[in-house]
Amino acid sequence: MLVGDKEIQFDNDGFMMEPSLWNEDIALAIAVEEGIGEMTEDHWRVAKFIRDYWKENDLAPAVRLICQELGLGVRQIYKLYTSGPARGACRVAGLPKPDGCV
Amino acid sequence: MTENEPNIEKPVDPEESAVKAREKLREVINALGSYHMHSCVRCGLCGETCHIYLTDPVPENLPGVKASKIISHFRRYHTFLGRVAPILVGARNLTPEALDELVEVVYGRCTMCGRCGINCSVGADIGSIMRMGRMILAASGRVPKNLQAVVDNQLNTGNQMAITQEELKSTAEWISEDLQHEMGNKEVRIPVDEHGKRVVYLVNPREVKFFPLSLSAAAGVFYAAGESWTMSSRFYDVTNYGLFSGDNVAAEEITRQAIEETLRLGAEEMILSECGHGFRAFRWEGPNWMHKKYSIPVRSMLDVMLEYIESGRIKVDRAKNKDRVTLHDPCNLVRYGGVSEPQRKILHKVCGDFVEMVPNREQNFCCGGGGGMLSMSEYGERRVLSGKVKADQIHATSAKIVATPCHNCADQLLELNKHYKLGIEVMAVVELVYNALVL
Repeated sequence: MLVGDKEIQFDNDGFMMEPSLWNEDIALAIAVEEGIGEMTEDHWRVAKFIRDYWKENDLAPAVRLICQELGLGVRQIYKLYTSGPARGACRVAGLPKPDGCV
Repeated sequence: MTENEPNIEKPVDPEESAVKAREKLREVINALGSYHMHSCVRCGLCGETCHIYLTDPVPENLPGVKASKIISHFRRYHTFLGRVAPILVGARNLTPEALDELVEVVYGRCTMCGRCGINCSVGADIGSIMRMGRMILAASGRVPKNLQAVVDNQLNTGNQMAITQEELKSTAEWISEDLQHEMGNKEVRIPVDEHGKRVVYLVNPREVKFFPLSLSAAAGVFYAAGESWTMSSRFYDVTNYGLFSGDNVAAEEITRQAIEETLRLGAEEMILSECGHGFRAFRWEGPNWMHKKYSIPVRSMLDVMLEYIESGRIKVDRAKNKDRVTLHDPCNLVRYGGVSEPQRKILHKVCGDFVEMVPNREQNFCCGGGGGMLSMSEYGERRVLSGKVKADQIHATSAKIVATPCHNCADQLLELNKHYKLGIEVMAVVELVYNALVL
């Protein structure tokens, strides 16, 4: 996918091959694919929290942490990211695909 | 990742890996396996039964052709003509190159859903032949990396998502607090590591890490039924990726750790959350892997919920679920696991407008995400394409909610929802039961 003047590579699940290249423009481009009309403040708060947590722990945060740290209800997360925290929010946040049944 | 370049750890000694594969081939062929290997009459009927072939009808996707790749090696080493005149009977040597080629065939073009087998004109169980192929590849060290990572997580941390014990406990507390608020009752909660409860409940780690509403609903239903239950913080994973990778040693270990933990906690019964392959693995394959019978019953939460409803232990009102609901049958629960009626009886009791998709029950199509396909990104495009059969089935029902007793299917259905713009919500059966509770 071409974002700005850079060609960004994704795996067949749509997750970034080079997560370190992530920036807000890429997040916006993925969000369009996710069918997210507008990245609201809450969308950004979730994505950035996931991103920061991943940078520190090399792991996607549990949805409990996202909710408790940001003061959101779990149903709100699914409204913001309809594909869910893993395939939706983690993808927008530029993480590699989490392991397992997701 | 190109199709000719499997996403596996390259074997250090390719020749040695092929020797191991040949040994495994000899080991996995029993009388029944041999029958299945011999029986294909090349009628081609299996094509019409396979979601992967139907959405991409090239010869390589024909179940019989996929199976024939494994059968050609069987023939080479375990039939008279194959040994003396391999070329005449299409028998092929099991070489490192042949093994590399086989990776895509058995992991990338088949979800081991078994639909071809039950529709095969001569009754060849192609799904099981494909798993034999996976066993051979696992023995040679050729499990796709992303699938192996899940098995490793299960062996190293006790669960497929490497969730820490602290995280499990914190999540249980968090869900309990929310649920207490929602139900207006301080007593409802998720008990963890409590000894002497009647039931130990296993869940898909996905419920803990990303999708807790089904776990929350289960706690609500258990509370309403007055059930004595607990979860373990160490081994609560209902999944078993050894079934998918083809590694029976890992599969046995994963089974053993949950069974032993359930016994250690002094429970009388192990109840499995809604999970297709987890049910097949724990209920049917586990005792074979462990070479012994369990001393406690293992049942699906579906059975338990139906029992609660039919015995009047919980009261439900179908008017509380108004939207149209349809049901997706997970292959490993229904076709391989034999559980097809409890989920229907439950949905008739808890939904105002429940419609079947067609075909259903043991003839239902795979969603495309089975067999570990969701964890192997290299086959992601084919996975979504093959799910078109399921998407069309769902679309034809005009349902707003697709209930599925499998968290793996649920993720694929969410993907299909996004890709094919179905406008559906995906729910576990327990969530609909919880919604319908009359307290």
